[in-house]
Amino acid sequence: MKGDAPVVLGEPKGYTAQKAGVKRGIAILDFILRLVGFIGTLSSAIMMATTNETLPFFTQFIRFRAEYNDLPTFTFFVVANAAVSAYFLLSLPLSIFNILRSSAKNSRIILIIFDTGMLALLTAGSSAGAAIVYLAHRGNTKANWLAICQQFNSFCERISGSLIGSYVGVTVFIVLILLSASALARR
Amino acid sequence: MSTTIDITEETSAVAKGKAPLIATTTYSDGSKGNIKTKGAVAAAGYKKGIAIFDFLLRLGAIVAALAAAGTMGSSEQTLPFFTQFFQFRASYDDLPTFQFFVIAMSIVGGYLVLSLPFSIVLIIRPSAVAPKMLLVALDIVALTLNAAAGGAAAAVVYLAHNGNSSANWLAICQQFGDFCQKVSGAVVASFISAVALVFLVVLSGFALRRH
Repeated sequence: MKGDAPVVLGEPKGYTAQKAGVKRGIAILDFILRLVGFIGTLSSAIMMATTNETLPFFTQFIRFRAEYNDLPTFTFFVVANAAVSAYFLLSLPLSIFNILRSSAKNSRIILIIFDTGMLALLTAGSSAGAAIVYLAHRGNTKANWLAICQQFNSFCERISGSLIGSYVGVTVFIVLILLSASALARR
Repeated sequence: MSTTIDITEETSAVAKGKAPLIATTTYSDGSKGNIKTKGAVAAAGYKKGIAIFDFLLRLGAIVAALAAAGTMGSSEQTLPFFTQFFQFRASYDDLPTFQFFVIAMSIVGGYLVLSLPFSIVLIIRPSAVAPKMLLVALDIVALTLNAAAGGAAAAVVYLAHNGNSSANWLAICQQFGDFCQKVSGAVVASFISAVALVFLVVLSGFALRRH
């Protein structure tokens, strides 16, 4: 039948050891990337959650104060980043298990499943935050939405900077899933 | 006088010392063949099933992605009244986020259409690794783009529905009802396409596991 793989009895001995070494290298890189992703998303969540600015002037009725949860999208951003950083922390043990046992298959497939889901969540959160930051910087004349960055300068700078950490997390996820898939593909 | 040239059948894998040892058998009529166990045949059938499911999921994702791009692109509403200076018209290109959405979903839909031949190759030959790894890599990138477009557009649609009192942003959905409906529908379609892409990546992982 076309497309069937024949029975493989074995491999040259040196090649098997070399493949185990490559898989261990992939697992170590995986662990390091997870640490980087954890730091990135955690710092992003903290930076966004501690953003508030109060303008030094006020009228009798209005107080000019901007906080991250004035915009519900930023609340979603903080929650998504916090969830992903917790996931990174919880997946470190699985990653260590992959380093110790190079021929692990089930743990790698579990990591692929959860990494893909978290990638979608993190990308949605960070791009939603980016859309609102863009609106805060530019406003929109057609919808009559004013650019609030004109007044709240340090608030704007902080929310723009906190996007960077979450995009680092997105890149880390892309590389992680590719690494896990290539480690699975090596017999 | 004659010369004979010996060409040995040595593949590059054998020369590098990486070739696996394959069990062969000689049949009663003298022909040789590879031994295939029942497990190997079952694994090939399993991977073919995964490849067929992958192809069908791709078709579904194409429909969702192109529907999202098309709905957003055709979302335009002109209100029946106008003043001397303004005409009340809302279109997707009034908001740069929606422009990004249309472009990104078109790219994702176009990529999915172009990946159909690779998916068909995998149905025919389930144990091919190179097309599968290529599809996994490009699917991940497409998923990121899709999720980014969907997330950004969802944020703006939420603002359009609810407005924001702290920033003094009015909810434009109060006036442009049809426009808002179309735009929200497009965002939902893009989320369906993103879920399909997640399943595609996970399926490829399962197929690679049986490798």
